[in-house]
Amino acid sequence: MRDKWLSWWKRIVFFFGVVGPGIISANADNDAGGITTYSVVGAHYGTTMLWVLLLITISLAITQEMGVRIGLVTRQGLGGIIREHFGVRWTTVAMVGMLIANLGTITAEFAGIAAAFSIIGVSKFIAVPLAALIVWFILYKGSFKTTQKIFLVFSAFYIVYIINGFVIGPDYGEAVRHMVTPTLQWNTPFLITMIALIGTTITPWGQFFIQSYVVDKGLKIRHYKAEKAEVFIGAFITNIVSFFIIVCTAATLYKYGIEITDAKDAALALKPLVGNFAQSLFAFGLFSASMLGAFILPTTTSYALCEAFGWESGFDTNWKNGKTFYSIILACIILPAIAVLVPSISLVKIMIFSQDINGILLPIILIFVMLIINNKQIMGEHVNSRTSNIISWATIGFILAATVALVISSIVGFN
Amino acid sequence: MPYLSQIVNTNVRDSADTTVGKLVDILIMPRPGSYPPLEYLKIKDRRNKRMIFIPYRFVQLLGKHDVVLSGMLEKIPVQETVPNELVGLQHTVLDQQIVDVAGIRVVRVNDVRFGTFEDRMCVVGIDVSFLGLLRRLGLEWLDFFGLLKVNLIDWRQAKLVHGLLKLKTERLDINELHPADLANIVEDLNVKHGSRLMISMSTDNAAKVFEEVDPHLQAILMKYLDPEQSASILAKMSVDEVVDLIKMMPADEAKALMSYLQSAQQSTVQKLMAYKSDTAGGLMTVEYVTVRPDWTVEQVIEEVKKSSPAMTNVLYFYITGDDGHYYGKASLRWLIKSPSDQKVKDLLEHYPPSPSLRADMEIDEIARIMTKYNLLTAPVLDGDRHLIGVVTIDDVIRRLVPDA
Repeated sequence: MRDKWLSWWKRIVFFFGVVGPGIISANADNDAGGITTYSVVGAHYGTTMLWVLLLITISLAITQEMGVRIGLVTRQGLGGIIREHFGVRWTTVAMVGMLIANLGTITAEFAGIAAAFSIIGVSKFIAVPLAALIVWFILYKGSFKTTQKIFLVFSAFYIVYIINGFVIGPDYGEAVRHMVTPTLQWNTPFLITMIALIGTTITPWGQFFIQSYVVDKGLKIRHYKAEKAEVFIGAFITNIVSFFIIVCTAATLYKYGIEITDAKDAALALKPLVGNFAQSLFAFGLFSASMLGAFILPTTTSYALCEAFGWESGFDTNWKNGKTFYSIILACIILPAIAVLVPSISLVKIMIFSQDINGILLPIILIFVMLIINNKQIMGEHVNSRTSNIISWATIGFILAATVALVISSIVGFN
Repeated sequence: MPYLSQIVNTNVRDSADTTVGKLVDILIMPRPGSYPPLEYLKIKDRRNKRMIFIPYRFVQLLGKHDVVLSGMLEKIPVQETVPNELVGLQHTVLDQQIVDVAGIRVVRVNDVRFGTFEDRMCVVGIDVSFLGLLRRLGLEWLDFFGLLKVNLIDWRQAKLVHGLLKLKTERLDINELHPADLANIVEDLNVKHGSRLMISMSTDNAAKVFEEVDPHLQAILMKYLDPEQSASILAKMSVDEVVDLIKMMPADEAKALMSYLQSAQQSTVQKLMAYKSDTAGGLMTVEYVTVRPDWTVEQVIEEVKKSSPAMTNVLYFYITGDDGHYYGKASLRWLIKSPSDQKVKDLLEHYPPSPSLRADMEIDEIARIMTKYNLLTAPVLDGDRHLIGVVTIDDVIRRLVPDA
């Protein structure tokens, strides 16, 4: 009997052993910036942007799969490969791009923490420094992996949105129709929101994260099929959540013309399911999503920079050997936390704009990924298939076009 | 003295001040334990855009952003090809990972430093500093207070792990490191480089390092080594480690690995495979010294001498009957202080019986027993009290603290 349990247990452990990177990475996409962006998308544009979500779900799956594949074949992080094949200058370009995007995202995470606590009436001047301290302390002294798992479990909160979706009973017919009929508006707010939607779903850090995760875990090319499936499932699950966040906010806020200027407004979307409890529940969800991001992002940033520039890294080093590694983590916590503490800064705007920065900088990273994955010398027989190439280049092209449109519209305007 | 980054991409002139072309790379012949002299300049010919190689002895000046040849281009024997063993600094050394043998760590090559050694221009050091990065980026001026320091690694202390470098004879240095430190280095490197480093070591050392490497990585590394290398490393490893490794692998790879083993090793491995890895059976080794009760101290010493080369450690020897029945164990200390004609069984009577383990005991219990009785090793007995293996404390600790 005991043996039976043991083998069951082992199977579960194996499942979580292999199944991990894709789901964690995809799940962490629904961080502070994610929840806010999806809420704003739904509240301000109803379900009309769902077609973008459908397309980027496919792109997310494809780009993440490429990260997994590069990691499995080269057993090296993205930063290291870029350095070895493109030299210092291009590495610096890629790393500065990643650093800016990541600092933006971490700022969004702390803004999320601040927003969550403001809902329950705690000042950000208390909540943010405290959260920053906890994040630093756990990263420096505690177990990164355990903490990551705890917050991953907390993020099951998103199920609330799915149930909520069924309680509200929105117009699914219209949602599906919007999903397959692209509509564009040529104005700055629409383009800003759309780029944020892309940038919060497919992220520069996500590419770095999934690749080093695969390498760290010691996964092998024979795990490729399982990993691929996992990445696809991860992308699908996360964007189902995104779908329901958009549908819920569309059916509640958009319907009554309520714009989101504050996290409290976004929480209203949960009212049909949990009534007055909505505020606290949303606050909890936003908090745990933000914390998960606040743990993963400084670490990912520091790993990538250290690998690219040859500094010693890893949590098994002490302060003396890993000085640079820990300093980068520390800077990635302190600078964003300070930014959020600027009085009267709009937390919602921080969360949206940081996702725009991610979206705009994403092509830089994706182009490097594309050049690497199509290089026979590096990838051997595992170079990209034509489908992956078409989808990826289309994604890059689409973002670049949207960025150009945004620049034009914000300078001259379309009307 | 100049750095590689200050020279590459500059225009090369001949003695008549005619521009020959752009310097693309500088080739060296890596030599163990010495500063390699520069052998060739690789230049992109200005006229026909082809790559040409000019022997270094025709270089008069190699300075910052200025390279001058010692004669007219027409008089210089330009080559279109060079021997394969030559290595391009720009192409194969720059930006790659190296092992700093002195500092026991893996770093990235930011720049390469030249210097005159025994009247020849040689590679003397590898710059791994932040200043080196800034130099590459043309941002050296950022350090206007001169706060940053160049951090050079002596070329002779650096172990390059890139595929095209075959610094096999340099393994002298690397073999002086402790296997556990080397294992950490192998873990830091990416797999291709890590496996190359392993190959460059002596087989003895490679096997020791291999045992220290994380089991997941072991399985991956095995795939990068060719059968012959795997076989020779496996042959040197202790049997219990081999079993752990094989258990990590999928069936087909495990089968291939089994076939590399010598037949004696094979049957032992198969026996040990039957035990679960976190039990005494899975932890135990089968490499230990056994003696008979009626042997004298002298005979025991002979036996230890004879069988110890194949073993990692000999702390104790085990006393068994002809049929394998277990009587007890005694330490080497006992051998040293006893008269050489004393019989083993006479001494056993003065020894308190030491506790033994069963093959199916779990790690927690083993750890408890070994801690309670202060044991460095404990015998594993089957139902009929036959000795089937020995658990040593280091294997227990390794299992309890896997990440060291």
